[in-house]
Amino acid sequence: MQVFFQTIIGGISLGAIYALVALGFSLVYRTMGLVNFAHGNVVTVGAYLASTFYLTSKLPFALAMFVAIAVTGVIGLVIERVLRPLENRDFDLMLIGTIGFGIVLDALVIMIWGATGRAVPSPVPSAPIDLWGIRIRTYDLVVLAIAAAATVLLVLFLSRTKRGAAMQAVAMDHEAATAVGIHVGRSNAIAFMIGAGLAALAGGLVGPLLYVSPALGGALGIKGFAAAILGGFGSIPGAIVGGIAIGVLDSFTAGHFQGYSELVTFLVFTVIIMIRPTGVFGERTVNRA
Amino acid sequence: MRYRIGIIALAALAAWFLPYGLDSYAIHVVNVILIFAILAIGLGLCMGVGGQVNLAQVAFFGVGAYTTAILTTKTGWGFWLSAVLALAATIAVGLLVGTPALRVQSHYLGIVTLGLALAFTNWVTNAQVAGGAEGISAIPVPTIPGVDLSNEYLYYYLELAVFAVGLVFGLFIVRTALGRRMRAMRDDALAAGALGADVPVLRMTAFLLASVYGGLGGVLYAGLIRYVAPETFSIANMFLLLGMVIIGGRQSLIGCVVGAAGLYLVRELLADHPTVAQIGYGTVVVLVVVFAPTGLAGLPKRIRDLVTRRRGGQGEAARLQPFQPYETVRPDESGSQSPILEVDGISMYFRGLRALDDVSLSITPGEIRGIVGPNGSGKTTLFNVISGLYRPTRGRIRFRGQDSTGLAPYRLARAGMSRTFQNLRLFGDLTVEENVLVAIDRNATWHSWRYVARPISVLRRDRDLHRRAAEVIERYGLAEFAALPPKSLPYGIQRRVEIARAVAAGPALLLLDEPAAGLNGDEVRQLSEIVRSVRDSGVTVIIIEHNMGLVMSLCERITVLASGHVIAEGEPAEVASTPAVIEAYLGDSMSSDDLPSVPEVTG
Repeated sequence: MQVFFQTIIGGISLGAIYALVALGFSLVYRTMGLVNFAHGNVVTVGAYLASTFYLTSKLPFALAMFVAIAVTGVIGLVIERVLRPLENRDFDLMLIGTIGFGIVLDALVIMIWGATGRAVPSPVPSAPIDLWGIRIRTYDLVVLAIAAAATVLLVLFLSRTKRGAAMQAVAMDHEAATAVGIHVGRSNAIAFMIGAGLAALAGGLVGPLLYVSPALGGALGIKGFAAAILGGFGSIPGAIVGGIAIGVLDSFTAGHFQGYSELVTFLVFTVIIMIRPTGVFGERTVNRA
Repeated sequence: MRYRIGIIALAALAAWFLPYGLDSYAIHVVNVILIFAILAIGLGLCMGVGGQVNLAQVAFFGVGAYTTAILTTKTGWGFWLSAVLALAATIAVGLLVGTPALRVQSHYLGIVTLGLALAFTNWVTNAQVAGGAEGISAIPVPTIPGVDLSNEYLYYYLELAVFAVGLVFGLFIVRTALGRRMRAMRDDALAAGALGADVPVLRMTAFLLASVYGGLGGVLYAGLIRYVAPETFSIANMFLLLGMVIIGGRQSLIGCVVGAAGLYLVRELLADHPTVAQIGYGTVVVLVVVFAPTGLAGLPKRIRDLVTRRRGGQGEAARLQPFQPYETVRPDESGSQSPILEVDGISMYFRGLRALDDVSLSITPGEIRGIVGPNGSGKTTLFNVISGLYRPTRGRIRFRGQDSTGLAPYRLARAGMSRTFQNLRLFGDLTVEENVLVAIDRNATWHSWRYVARPISVLRRDRDLHRRAAEVIERYGLAEFAALPPKSLPYGIQRRVEIARAVAAGPALLLLDEPAAGLNGDEVRQLSEIVRSVRDSGVTVIIIEHNMGLVMSLCERITVLASGHVIAEGEPAEVASTPAVIEAYLGDSMSSDDLPSVPEVTG
């Protein structure tokens, strides 16, 4: 029983990271119907930026994160601007375009930071808290708190601000949104920027948990996507639930199938997509794929 | 034609004598390029022609290579027997990876296939039988009596033969019935289904083709390198392959081959700077996607178009010829006629919205039935239910005496139902002639085994289809537009193409959804002539229309829908004076949209 809970706890903090990645996917998808295949690479870039500023420039961890988020936000803006001519016209081409960006980012990361990875020390004291025999790392709590705060801020932004409301309108009907004077391109750009920022946040946070390497984003990206689908693509609560679920699933498969854990995760994910493409919280009306 | 034969002969000669001018390293590069070219053809067929996003091509490649490696080294079976089994294994995996395509499309399919490709790499890096991260070495040399295939120069000819057969076979598919149907499905799966294309089988065929080429590439790779390791089949190589297909032009197999050769050569030249090469080709992929979606293969046409436009478009514009009426078939007057279509108590709810509520209709053979009603009254929903796009919440439909409730659109189309769409759903990247050809082709897709066993009969049948399509096009006065893509035509002509296409399918029941929308007075008159002639040739017609003049003059009976209910039915004059109809039209029941968007995930 204790092992069971320990596995769940271990899964939840990674799950929170997946949830952040999934949120980025979902936000872009609900706004413009596009799955950003470069999202995972943006996570890698974010992880490297944050760790570089934290380790090399000796910035405080929080400040390093902010810088990383700002830089990746700009990357998001660039991707959106270049692909804008294809928006609402050919999604398959846009998908391939984001893969193209992913290829470029992947090479840039290797060029700048090299092909080998680096370990990032935890920014908070590492002694775990003992709770009824279950050990919880303090850094896991930090991750959970930041992820929760980011989600709340995102939801507030979407529901309480004018810009957020405009993005919701674009998500529902981009033509009608244009007709009432919303700049769809700008709205998409902001979605992309926030999406990239969330990716950097996830990448920065995951640094002390996993080894930062060029392959980091690929695995996080696809698991974050799986989380987004599982919860219902485009749904914000869905991204959270999906993220946690994939995190826990991951942690169980890692325990039971060792090296094959990825294989099992992807197979489970495929089966879920086949059975219920719209996910747990998915709405058919938002479904644009 | 002579010009083309010349080019092919020249290319064959060049390919034959190529090894004589190359050193041993260069021939190795060429051999690898040929393998990538074979993989690219497979990916092009699946993605460019079939429209199925496939990011698992590299896994098919891997299954082919690894199965060959495992069978030859672990069981001691001969190379060729192992190769055949490897191909079979790849096909099995291909069909398995393709199954999600039956449920999801586009982005979802991309991520699922990518996930499965990752699962494959994960498996080979861990599995004992696959040699783990070290891979499998010492794969035996394939043997052909009298030929030493460990010599790369001779191996080249083996690869060349496979490549040539693969390319010719691929082109054969693209240019004939199967490829046409796949391209139609790529452009508009819904319309293809409504014309009788069995979309699920076609999607699996796309993956089948991808896996055959992937498997061939894998077997050749195992024989050439004689060593397999996980990194060859990594996602990076998948994206490289994708880059080849996109840069070359995914819709053209020649383009895919050119892209494969070009990109690999560039990468080879930049072998000392792999990251620079990667940044370069990634950037090119992005640029191609934005500025030249048809890739290198599309450039000649773009340049030609540009030149013609510069010259100010010389030559006469194509003109629409008059419609030539069908011969009238005397309707069978003997005995009572049972209805061709019976709609019995159909209800269709979208969540809370009742689009149709207990609607019943009965259509007798040979009539022209009008369905009218205010916007949002459920007319198009009714068509979508009848033609199988929606499964009704309640009620039954009988078509030609058979229960047809919930049958897939392509089955209904095969049974003799054909329709047009309110917003026109022509296959945009096919020509007008090909649009008609897709409709005329009534064979089930599984008949495509003939492509392997009896290619001549495929060609003969295709010639026959072309002859029949030419007749249809001639009859509808579209001869001068036959070779043009419908997108480039004026709206009125597109409408006529869609009707021609629907009738070319040889239906017993034709459903026309607002065929007069956007037509001018003269075109409406022509339309009415066409519909009447089609009916006289023995086709029953149901027509949704807002143009009351047309409905009143054309239809024998009219059904009026309002808010999902049938409020009147009868002869035109009789219906027009019904109080409920007048109220529905002049009252305040005007509401929104009448075609709820079709959910495409399952489509």
